[in-house]
Amino acid sequence: MSTRVLGRNVPKKDAATKVRGSRRFPQDFDREGELHAKVVWSEFPHARVVKVDASKAEALPGVVKVLTAADVPVNKYGIIIDDQPVLVREGDKVRWLGDRIAIVVAESEAAAREARRLVEVQYDPLPVVSDPREAMKPEAPLVHDERGDSNVFRHIKVRKGDWEKGFAEADVVVESYYHTPYVEHVYMQPDAGIGYIDEEVRVTVISSAQWPDHDLRQIAPMLDLPQEQVREIVPAIGGAFGGREDMHIQHLLALCAYVLQRPVKMVFDRSEVMTRTGKRHPWYVKYRTGAKKDGTLTAVEIEIVADSGGHASTTVPVIEAGTSFSAGPYVVPNAKVDSYAVYTNNAVTMAMRGFGATQAAFIYEMQMSKLADALGMDPVELRMKNLFEDGSIALTGHAMPPGVGIKEALREAALAAGWKEENGHWVRPELGPPSAPHKRRGLAVACGLKNVGYSFGSDDKATVGVQLALDQSGQIERVTVLSGACDVGMGAQTVLAQMAAEALDVDYDQVRVSLVDTVKVPDSGSCSASRLVWISGNALVRACQEALQKRDQILIAESGETFVEAEHEFHGRSVHETHPYDPETGMTVPHFAYGYAAQIALVEVDTETGETEILKFWAAQDVGKAVNPGMVKGQSAGGVHMGVGYALTEEYIQQEGVPKTRYLADYYVPTVMDMPHEFTSITVEVPDPSGPYGAKGVGEMTTLPTAPVVISAIHDAVGVWIDEFPATAERVWWATRQQGQPRE
Amino acid sequence: MPTLNMVLNGKEVSVDVEPGDLLVHVLRDKLGQIGTKLSCGEGECGACTVLVDGLAMTSCIYPALKAQGRRVTTIEGLSEGRALHPIQQAFVDATAPQCGYCIPGMVMSAKALLDHNPHPSEEEIKEGLSGNICRCTGYYQIVEAVKLAAERMAGEGGTQ
Repeated sequence: MSTRVLGRNVPKKDAATKVRGSRRFPQDFDREGELHAKVVWSEFPHARVVKVDASKAEALPGVVKVLTAADVPVNKYGIIIDDQPVLVREGDKVRWLGDRIAIVVAESEAAAREARRLVEVQYDPLPVVSDPREAMKPEAPLVHDERGDSNVFRHIKVRKGDWEKGFAEADVVVESYYHTPYVEHVYMQPDAGIGYIDEEVRVTVISSAQWPDHDLRQIAPMLDLPQEQVREIVPAIGGAFGGREDMHIQHLLALCAYVLQRPVKMVFDRSEVMTRTGKRHPWYVKYRTGAKKDGTLTAVEIEIVADSGGHASTTVPVIEAGTSFSAGPYVVPNAKVDSYAVYTNNAVTMAMRGFGATQAAFIYEMQMSKLADALGMDPVELRMKNLFEDGSIALTGHAMPPGVGIKEALREAALAAGWKEENGHWVRPELGPPSAPHKRRGLAVACGLKNVGYSFGSDDKATVGVQLALDQSGQIERVTVLSGACDVGMGAQTVLAQMAAEALDVDYDQVRVSLVDTVKVPDSGSCSASRLVWISGNALVRACQEALQKRDQILIAESGETFVEAEHEFHGRSVHETHPYDPETGMTVPHFAYGYAAQIALVEVDTETGETEILKFWAAQDVGKAVNPGMVKGQSAGGVHMGVGYALTEEYIQQEGVPKTRYLADYYVPTVMDMPHEFTSITVEVPDPSGPYGAKGVGEMTTLPTAPVVISAIHDAVGVWIDEFPATAERVWWATRQQGQPRE
Repeated sequence: MPTLNMVLNGKEVSVDVEPGDLLVHVLRDKLGQIGTKLSCGEGECGACTVLVDGLAMTSCIYPALKAQGRRVTTIEGLSEGRALHPIQQAFVDATAPQCGYCIPGMVMSAKALLDHNPHPSEEEIKEGLSGNICRCTGYYQIVEAVKLAAERMAGEGGTQ
């Protein structure tokens, strides 16, 4: 088989139009006769809506209609649990500031903006619960009273081996409390789109999305329409990072178009994205780890409380996934884990790059760094001793499937950073002198793993089609790939084109990937869970093989036919069956495929200001097979960028359910100046036998180790553990002052 | 309604604007320059960067009437016909764009930088791009693209 396309840095399919600025994002679409819509958002994090009076707003010239709950055919939705009202009706509750009361539709954006201020809403404020640990108590105010008598809506238990015996056998026990922060996705393209009725009378939405077919599964019942009468078109997407798994705007556009039977455009401003859309879950964690003197782990005991905010969104699968990784890529024979999903009146929390594996990586890697410190052991050596290999028994009692590349990733990163393996021991490099007398250098290492695809018994499937245009001799002239795989920027369409070119033995330029339109392409599942390369790739390669067989039959039949198409539906369970958690023991086979990352950071901390600078960074990721090495490097650097913000600067602050972080100026996303001065991306290729050409996923794994590696390096520099992060200059400065003078 | 007269991408244009209109809205909504992107609306992220008399400006906080009589260059003004500008081509070759929403602004900041400093050091490139936020790439391939563009343009005998 030729490898002329796979593994090469071919130009991304969308690159030229993106550098020209000609590629259209959702806000760049307009239609003849379009109206403009603005949302009337809740003014309280918890309150009963007493009265909604839109008369003044509707009297404003240019206003066409103010939609309220009465205009929504079936007024509920939700990505997994339909616990969210589309518009809150009089007498019902708002549960966070992202709940909506009404939508103002006008002839101009200016009129809609002015009119939304004229909608008068009377509220009866209710007690706010803003700390999930308080929300778990029986006396706490209930957020979703209709869903039972507790704010806790999921409790996962893992009981493995004999953890009490495990701790009794331990020579060292490390115990910590962690608090991981909210993160705003900050996709650069604010939510926007247009809804209209298409030529076949379908309610149609043009918008960013991560899973358009699943959006339709929520929109159709909301409008009480069969799914054939709704349609979603996904043009260029300006980033997502999990933030567009939930619908923020699609259902509102569909509703407006359906009610008014006219095109309706809506564009959120940045402040709406910041304060009215979902975030990464904060976790409150108690964690104990026991180990023998030689570093062998004996037991963990973990309690995780995840703040879900006002609605469930994807909190249940996020904590299910996060819990499964809470002991890391390490063999731990005895474990007790309890995880809780809790409603509060804070911002709704949802998927964000890592889907629970990111918070998990912070807690288990901080524990490993502390353990290495307590044992006086090299941090690479401690990890190497406990890391997974093929067949290792993981936290939930299952054997890791073949293709485990975490040791290779850590080894490559450590060697690149200057570690030496001497007499069976790992020896770290000298750090060199700091750049000024008041600065201290620190070096640390961290690992991470994450599932590829949906877990816990979900039937994860992707359907991909391929069309071949042949010449008279049966040679392939052009190829079209049909897939609902949304390209949020990472290059899904390019990867599919490369794989199709490889599978069909044609040039990359002969392959075109169809744009995502639910009436034109099959459902390939979501752009999430680092799954598209693996699962859409698996479907595509099979569709290509089937198309080639059909082509060969045509040639034999000498029919003169010049068009062939094939479609394949690939199921993740065909590789490994997964199952839900056992309710009592938590034992299960949680995931069918994995990806791995290991990172090393050299930092310098200014003891006078508490500021951390990252001098050098080594990021190794085991991707199985790098289909496009340039794009893998982009995922690596992008994941590290997000991890650097998570570790050091990004903080979404709420007080009693009210955001104080309202604009981008309040929320510090790292600039090019804040990135590690030297960055080395190392791609390791330990093939996944079940992946297409051995490929795994990469998008999420690259961000997992970054926060713990940076914060562990801060400890190595100045001797403080920042267990509640981001490790802002202020936090580090105070921590060093509290522990006395920084160590020499 | 006042009239804004400016030279947009080398051509004189006249357009009626409200006194409070911002340049980004006039460019996008009245002049069809959709390559200029609006993201933060407060001059923080640089997605809306255009050149005004050769200087990089965030058009989301730039009053449209301030452009009266000035030369404004948008991303659409960089390439003519099929050929990409060397900076744009370098962004493609360095696998710099991911989602691409920040990219027009990045390219315009790079253009302003290279117009004034055709041989920037890596530090100068980073300074030149420090007003542009990207959430996807981690910036390294964007910095590589600007380096590559500078090398290629030096080879061609200067900037365009």
